[in-house]
Amino acid sequence: MEEVLVKIRSLNAWYGSTSVLKNIELDIHKNRIYAFIGPSGSGKTTLLRSINRLNDLSADFRIEGLIEIAGKNVYEKNDRKFIEELRKGIGMVFQQPNPLPTTIIRNMLLPVKEHYKVSHNEMVEMAIMNLKNAGLYDEVSNRLNKTALKLSGGQQQRLCIARTLMLNPGIILFDEPCSALDPISTYNIEELLLQLKEKYTIIIVTHNMEQASRISDYCAFFYQGELVEKGQTANLFINPKAELTQKYLKGVI
Amino acid sequence: MMNKIKNNAVYSELGYVYSWLSAGIVVSACLLIIIDIVYLGHCAISLDFLIKEPNASAINTEAGGILTPMIGTIMLTIIGTVVAFPFSLATAIYLCFYSKKGMLTKAVEFAIDVLAGVPTIVVALFALTIFTRPEFSFLSTMVDGVEGSSRAYGKSFLVCGIVMAIMILPFVIKSMQEALKAVPESYIEGSYALGATKWQTIVKIAMRAATDGLATGVILGMGRIIGDTAIVWLTLGGTLRMTGNQPWYEPQNWLSALQNTGSTLTTYIYYTSPAGEGNNYTVAFGASLILILIIILLNAITMGFNFVSKEMGKK
Repeated sequence: MEEVLVKIRSLNAWYGSTSVLKNIELDIHKNRIYAFIGPSGSGKTTLLRSINRLNDLSADFRIEGLIEIAGKNVYEKNDRKFIEELRKGIGMVFQQPNPLPTTIIRNMLLPVKEHYKVSHNEMVEMAIMNLKNAGLYDEVSNRLNKTALKLSGGQQQRLCIARTLMLNPGIILFDEPCSALDPISTYNIEELLLQLKEKYTIIIVTHNMEQASRISDYCAFFYQGELVEKGQTANLFINPKAELTQKYLKGVI
Repeated sequence: MMNKIKNNAVYSELGYVYSWLSAGIVVSACLLIIIDIVYLGHCAISLDFLIKEPNASAINTEAGGILTPMIGTIMLTIIGTVVAFPFSLATAIYLCFYSKKGMLTKAVEFAIDVLAGVPTIVVALFALTIFTRPEFSFLSTMVDGVEGSSRAYGKSFLVCGIVMAIMILPFVIKSMQEALKAVPESYIEGSYALGATKWQTIVKIAMRAATDGLATGVILGMGRIIGDTAIVWLTLGGTLRMTGNQPWYEPQNWLSALQNTGSTLTTYIYYTSPAGEGNNYTVAFGASLILILIIILLNAITMGFNFVSKEMGKK
């Protein structure tokens, strides 16, 4: 029996008066990769960003319903401390790689340094371990003290993944992590995700259906803010039940 | 139907010539000013010119140097920048990260725009009414007024530096605000996603990413202080030499120097120009040359700063 880590129930969300998520019900299993697919504006990124409450940054965003992580309501409290603790436990990787304009090693150390009192040597050890976990260490070991901005897009993205691992999150959210990358970098990242799911629970938003079918265990198809169909990826791709899903997989919508 | 083809090539050529000419005019105006000042001012420049204090004389050889005006310019720039920096940065941060789109923000931005448009002589005049109040005598000196009422003199390096800070506030704020706004949203969101607080995001991420722009804002403010005349004339006194305890360059007299009057390169140029009492235009051009050199140096520092940080980004 697979353990459910994230439970989403009757979730509705609005930007201003525009409804962007309609009555979403979803279970996300531990140590699996869950892919959100759907056309642009279907609400999949909004749902992803609701999990770590990043939508709270927009003033006119409103949400109702329940998101539970390991039995704890994500929207239970509204104070900053609570939200910051929540975000510490959830990693996130964005569409555009966002290493900070500083050295590779500083990029790695910054989140730990800001949150915890850990000795420098210990932090560096952690950084090296996580760079190795992200499959980047061999490529950058001789330039840890050089700027991160000179890395290739794929390397930058793996650095961002490694950086997010530094806080040892339970869940990692990926918001179209490969859409700015070339095929080889995409392949590297996909391989990495398959390794990471041994230790982490992964949710990925993707436009790329092949990507979803290659790496995800579960898949949910969104259309105009509604969750049209969800299930095991193999089933959903081979035997889609809803007409909309069939159309989307055929490339009609 | 479509047999008439617009001759876009002609417009394109015209546009090219027009922009080329405009750029040419700007560059030649700048060069002409510099060449003129170098030509007329270079004969005044000597070591003595730089290290001697000025004398009130219309004869070239008796007029002395520009040591005190030069020191005055530097002192005012330092005081003004140091006073303005924390306020500007805090205001820019408030406007970028804390203020909500409402009346208060609009009021603050409106105030900044208005302050930027107020002529410096008006700012100076206003400052005189404030800083001549006896409560502020610690910034300048106390003078006995008529009928026994004492007032502050209201003219000193400290007063002038504070007024300069007020004068440059809007420019530095605007510039810093632009710099902070230009920080990519992805940095900010990435920081929040790592559980950072707002303050950590501002200080560790946004300010660091915007360092170039923030420095440019400071240097812009310095340039304005160096170039201003009206505020110096009204709130520093524009006296040829330092009027505090002498000799002014000895540490025990520094406080007194700050509380008393002096001059800057700009007021010295006015004094020695044909419009002023000194009427010694060779000296005026010499001082102008030094002033222009300081401004070129400042711009070079900005360029160097941007260059270095770009290289750091590439290494």
